[in-house]
Amino acid sequence: MNTTELRALQAPLIMLMVVVGLGAGLVYQLDQTLTSTRLELAQQQNQMREARTRLQKSGDEKELIVRYLPNYQYLQSIGFVGDEQRLNWLEGLRLANQQTQLFGVQYQIGSQQAYPYAVELDPGQLTLHESVMKLNFQLLHEGDLMSFLTALGKQGAGFFAVNQCKIDRLNTGGSIRFQPNLRAECDVAWITVRPSSPGDKKS
Amino acid sequence: MADKLLISVSAIQVSAARWLGGRLGECTVFENSEAGLAAFKDHLAQGPNLPAHMIVDAVEEDYRFESLPHSFGSDRSEMIARKLKQHYRNTTYCSARIQGRDPGKRRDDRYLFCALTNPELITAWLQAVTERELPVAGIYLVPTVSAKLIENLKLKKTNLLVVSIHGAGLRLSFFREQQLRISRLARIDGSEGDSIKNYAEEISNTRLYLHALRVMTLDEHLSVLIVDRNDTLPGLEQAIARDNPNIECRRLGYREIIASLGVTAPVLDSSSDALYLHLLGLHPPENNLAPANVTLGYRQHQIRRGIYALAGVTAFATTTWCAINLYQLFDARADTESARRQTTELQAKYQDATHQFPAAPTTAENLRRAVEISQKIGATTRTPEIMMDLLSRALEHHPAIFLKTFGWKYDRTEFEAGREGIPSPSAAPSSAPPPNLPASGKRKESVRIEGEVRPFRGDFRDAIESINRFAEALSRQPNVAEVKVVKLPLNISPGLTLSGNTTDSREQAGKADFTLILVLKPIA
Repeated sequence: MNTTELRALQAPLIMLMVVVGLGAGLVYQLDQTLTSTRLELAQQQNQMREARTRLQKSGDEKELIVRYLPNYQYLQSIGFVGDEQRLNWLEGLRLANQQTQLFGVQYQIGSQQAYPYAVELDPGQLTLHESVMKLNFQLLHEGDLMSFLTALGKQGAGFFAVNQCKIDRLNTGGSIRFQPNLRAECDVAWITVRPSSPGDKKS
Repeated sequence: MADKLLISVSAIQVSAARWLGGRLGECTVFENSEAGLAAFKDHLAQGPNLPAHMIVDAVEEDYRFESLPHSFGSDRSEMIARKLKQHYRNTTYCSARIQGRDPGKRRDDRYLFCALTNPELITAWLQAVTERELPVAGIYLVPTVSAKLIENLKLKKTNLLVVSIHGAGLRLSFFREQQLRISRLARIDGSEGDSIKNYAEEISNTRLYLHALRVMTLDEHLSVLIVDRNDTLPGLEQAIARDNPNIECRRLGYREIIASLGVTAPVLDSSSDALYLHLLGLHPPENNLAPANVTLGYRQHQIRRGIYALAGVTAFATTTWCAINLYQLFDARADTESARRQTTELQAKYQDATHQFPAAPTTAENLRRAVEISQKIGATTRTPEIMMDLLSRALEHHPAIFLKTFGWKYDRTEFEAGREGIPSPSAAPSSAPPPNLPASGKRKESVRIEGEVRPFRGDFRDAIESINRFAEALSRQPNVAEVKVVKLPLNISPGLTLSGNTTDSREQAGKADFTLILVLKPIA
């Protein structure tokens, strides 16, 4: 086909290209719109299903609240739920030291971090944190360690887990006076839990 | 059927008619002269741009029936072109059409070659068409158009002679097995004398002519179709039958033509060529005499039409697709709106229901989880108490063991043996888990204790045995997974230097220090 023949076909070819171009553009645009609308529909239907399920389970929800609210409030009161209560911990340390008649406890609380074993606890929309407290104290005998930890737990200052302890024998020169014979170092993790965001509050 | 301009050219007259909407319009007849040509040009100038189809009714025509070796593709095209050039050197208006194959062993192809041997007859008229820039679709001989007549009348005769009166004379076209074999135009003036008798004689002579050409024998049965467009040949059938007993005649009169072929009376009356223009409009034959340079415009016209058709189909498909998508789009939007409304209603109902709930600081799910987490943490926390009890019981039976340091941890990893590690013969079997568990493993308690054997007076064998017995006693406890003796008072490895003295003095004998690592089984 030579140039003259092509020129004769110029008008219909231009028209074809215009039709194909416009058609392709229209089809693409409409397809995009339809895809996004279908996505929006799917999301809206999901929300509707969730709302229906939530309504259907509202009876169960009420029962859950009645059942767990007292325990939850207790956990709030001891500082397990909500923000850290470091003052309570220090007060608990002081009282435990007094009750077990130790020779004083040195402490150092690290910064708050995510609780490393949270996944094992299936926390859902809750987040768990821990602050590790290093304790350094002296004991009359090894039984004082457990007495101290038990006393600390009873203070209601929060939830803690003992990560590690080390007891070293002190050189007392064979004296049997009332004096420390052992030195203990313990890492205690104070654990707190709270809803992940304010939006989780019951509406 | 597309609209087109149909033109019939003969030595006497030229008829032109437009085929519009599948029907033939009335013919305009022009005298084959300069004046007629001028009028024809005016006629074309007033009409629309339509592709032109021309038929030629002339004495100067040629038909050759020939068998050629069977071939395909370009070989066949070359062979046909060669044959056409060989037969028709003086005209470009020629064509060849295959008409089946010979029944013999060679199965040669049978061709009908035909040509207009006097191109000057149509030159001026064709030029008028091309000057008007009308695309020329094809140029045909009148007999080739007649094949459509046989098809429409459903005449399945082996030997059929179609006879018709034309302006230039009597046209006799012979069809064998419904395929044109030969045709001729006999110049007989119908106005002089006993024309019926003359026509009958010509038909009888044609039979002899066919016999002479070996197209058919005299013994064969021949059917004659008399196309009597204006009912001027009423006695011809009888005249032919009288002279030729083995000829079967049928006359197609004016009314029968109108009834069987669909052409209207005014159109049929408008020209002697109207019937053939009507047949040409119904179906153009394949024997197109026009060379490629003449039909170039028509090919371009066809391509243009094809492109426009493609654009139309594309536009239609796009419109249909868009219509379907728009319907789906509106449907989806309506569904979304409905779902949104229902969600709002359900949420409102839920809000009403929550007014009956006790006031809670968070969701019921969070309440449950927080309480359950506290219970799980309480159940999984550990203190050194178990280890201390376990060691106390073992120490009661091993008074020579004196502990100096007690290290306890509750983690996924246990204390490491380090380079001092020496497996105890009494400890757990070698299949015990490796000391360093992956971070995702369960937590377990482990203890590292450092101590010495007292009293020690240089008897390393006795001291080592005491330590091993102590480790063995620990490993027998049910919840102990592994006991490792990390360090002994004396390293008796042959790879190291060993020195000391053998005095019984306690001060000079040194110390019998050791280190143990004890691992409890993880929580189930």
